[in-house]
Amino acid sequence: MEWITSLFNGKVLAMLGAALAVLLAGTGSAKGLGIVGEMAAGLITEDSSKFGQALLLQALPGTQGIYGLLTAFVILNRIGVVGGAAVELTTATGFLFFVSALPIAIVGYFSAISQGRAAAAGIGIIAKHPEDLAKGIMFAAMVETYAVLALLASILMLFGINI
Amino acid sequence: MAIVKMSKLSLIGLEENKAPIIENLIKMGVVEIINCEEKLADEEWAQTVNRDGDAATLAQLEADISEVKGALDYLAKYDTRKKSLFEPKRTLDDAKYQEVLKKKDTIWDTVKKINNFDESLSALRSEENRLDNLILTLEPWKSLTVPLDVTATKTTEILWGVIPSSVSVESLKQELSEIAPASFLQIASSDKDQTYLLIFYHKSFKEDVLDDLKKYGFSKVAFKDMAGTVAENITTSQQRISAIKQERLTIEKQIATLAPEISNLEILFDYLEIERDKNKVLNNLVKTNKSFMLEGWVPSEVADKVKTSITQKYNCIIDVNNPENEDDMPILVKNNSFVKPFELITDLYSQPTAKEIDPNPIMAPFYFVFFGLMLSDAGYGILISLFTGFILWKYELEGVIKKLMGLLFFGGISTFIWGALFGGWFGNVVSAVSGGTYNISPIWFNPLDDPMRLLMWSLIFGAIHIFVGMGIKGYMLIKDGKVLDALFDIGGWYVFLIGIVLLLSGAAGAAGKYLTIFGAAVLVLTQGRSQKGIIKKLLMGVLSLYNVTSYLSDVLSYSRLLALGLATGVIATVVNTVGVLFGFNAVTLVFFVIVFVIGHIFNILINVLGAYVHASRLQYVEFFSKFYNGGGKPFKPFKINTKYIKLT
Repeated sequence: MEWITSLFNGKVLAMLGAALAVLLAGTGSAKGLGIVGEMAAGLITEDSSKFGQALLLQALPGTQGIYGLLTAFVILNRIGVVGGAAVELTTATGFLFFVSALPIAIVGYFSAISQGRAAAAGIGIIAKHPEDLAKGIMFAAMVETYAVLALLASILMLFGINI
Repeated sequence: MAIVKMSKLSLIGLEENKAPIIENLIKMGVVEIINCEEKLADEEWAQTVNRDGDAATLAQLEADISEVKGALDYLAKYDTRKKSLFEPKRTLDDAKYQEVLKKKDTIWDTVKKINNFDESLSALRSEENRLDNLILTLEPWKSLTVPLDVTATKTTEILWGVIPSSVSVESLKQELSEIAPASFLQIASSDKDQTYLLIFYHKSFKEDVLDDLKKYGFSKVAFKDMAGTVAENITTSQQRISAIKQERLTIEKQIATLAPEISNLEILFDYLEIERDKNKVLNNLVKTNKSFMLEGWVPSEVADKVKTSITQKYNCIIDVNNPENEDDMPILVKNNSFVKPFELITDLYSQPTAKEIDPNPIMAPFYFVFFGLMLSDAGYGILISLFTGFILWKYELEGVIKKLMGLLFFGGISTFIWGALFGGWFGNVVSAVSGGTYNISPIWFNPLDDPMRLLMWSLIFGAIHIFVGMGIKGYMLIKDGKVLDALFDIGGWYVFLIGIVLLLSGAAGAAGKYLTIFGAAVLVLTQGRSQKGIIKKLLMGVLSLYNVTSYLSDVLSYSRLLALGLATGVIATVVNTVGVLFGFNAVTLVFFVIVFVIGHIFNILINVLGAYVHASRLQYVEFFSKFYNGGGKPFKPFKINTKYIKLT
């Protein structure tokens, strides 16, 4: 039963949290970017001068992946894998790190996809009214609010863990 | 620092002076000409005047414009002039402009030439396509030596055709030789779909042969209007294709020699656009046989200048009035050079109406603070301000792009200030490079060490922002004479919200409790005042207290200030940590520099976008919702609108 003990080792759990944050948020962002990218490519075949605007809209669902990476980095930093001093973690502390990663991992995944959809619809706006780019951006940005809040929750939880 | 006051200008002049007056107006560029639609709807007016404008000329101009545009688009790829991203329009003085316009006919020749070239190029291209396809269809028959135009001899007929590759050619051959001994089948070639056959048969067997072929799914292939063998045809087609390629090259070279004409074409284009605009505006005018009339909006401060400068030159009557109805007054806002760039944010939302106040001067400082707080890195701030400042100084920008650069310039300054307060200089680069020996300590505190403290401050900033928004609403109510509304709706909430904050923080002891109760009482008693019946009034009053949740969620929304600020800081730290991963020597230094430059540029770009978007959101959703509706119509003066040149 050694593998169970090593699986529930504090460090493994914390790393699992970090991995999840990158994995889920990153996958969501990739999907979101893909959704907008497809629409944007369609627009460019009609009017290549709108590349810059389309790219701006495409960049929007990319932030969740970055938030995930950021959360992972804070975890790795706190448990001493990257920079900082290596620390021994109890299983309970490891779980705390794991749980802290959940908000950004899960909300990041879903919000990135929804934001991708909103941004893809925004491509439709700039196809007809390029001057209304900012409005398209705003609609997509409304979705991002929840990714930001999830990131905030994750970060606050992480900073709150005493080692 | 506010909405510019507009006057209504009416001008009646003689038809013979119309063109020069319009010319004068477009050059001054301060009058928005009102559409006469409303006037013509009035019967009395409709009887005496007609709508001006000349649809035919306008259509001709539009057609000319698209022709020149086509030529310009075509020439664009041969454009050898160096152009940077923020290239300003070429300036051109009037003498030069007129000089170029004198050569209008030769420029038109160039346009026609280019469009002709374009046509012949596309004709060549389609011929090439056709030949390519022809070669593809001929290729399977290449091995045959029968000329294509020979379909029969005296006693035989010749059939070209295909059968699906799924049926056996051998059995077809066998059967044919049985039913029609005087026949001959040759396989030209076969591919995965079909087999290509040539069949001779004696005319007397025609029916038998055709019946049998039908059984095998044979379909006839005909080559119309072609002579000679297949191989000959392929060779001639190939020769023609290479000739076409040559021809295309020659034409393209000829077009390339026209590239220097681009600048003249651009001038012609702009000239046509100005003429088009002048013609288009006539649609808004009314006329009689010998006179015309126009109405327009003009900023009051320049109205008299416009009036005298035109009445001096031409025989006409100009009347300048204050608008009787402010509702349809177009909106122009005027702000100082700090606030001006931030107008961009409001422009993208909606213009104020004449009854509202210009939100820009109040919004700008908040945007400034929030933008910087969400980036909060002194190094980034310096880079952003230097970059945008350089562009503003170097290029004469106009419109949206100028405002955007200005916005980023001030945003950079704010970013620098917040970065210095929080001790962020390219993240923690000094500490990372020195291995923790040196540190730039923050002037205030480092949010990474104490995020709760910054969270609290973010919410406080948010509360201030929201309170200011409510205050403006109150001010507007008082200005409209609705003092009681201001007192109940805004004052009541002020007291109640402040009371709750004091109560929860326990800062002011019992005062918090009493303030809350008093505020709540005011709200309960007044918020239902538009309802009928005492019970409904009280019920609506009590229900209105539920709005406290919306204030709560508004304030919590400002937690993004902290989150985005931390995001920038942490990503910058990640970049630095990765950069110094391999220590320092000649090789790893290169690695460090590459990681540092690419990483931080990426971080700046992605977070500037984030800061711009979220700072805007806080204005639109949390701030504007408190007092601002917008919906005003922006002032669009009748002026020279060019794409390439700037007339001086």
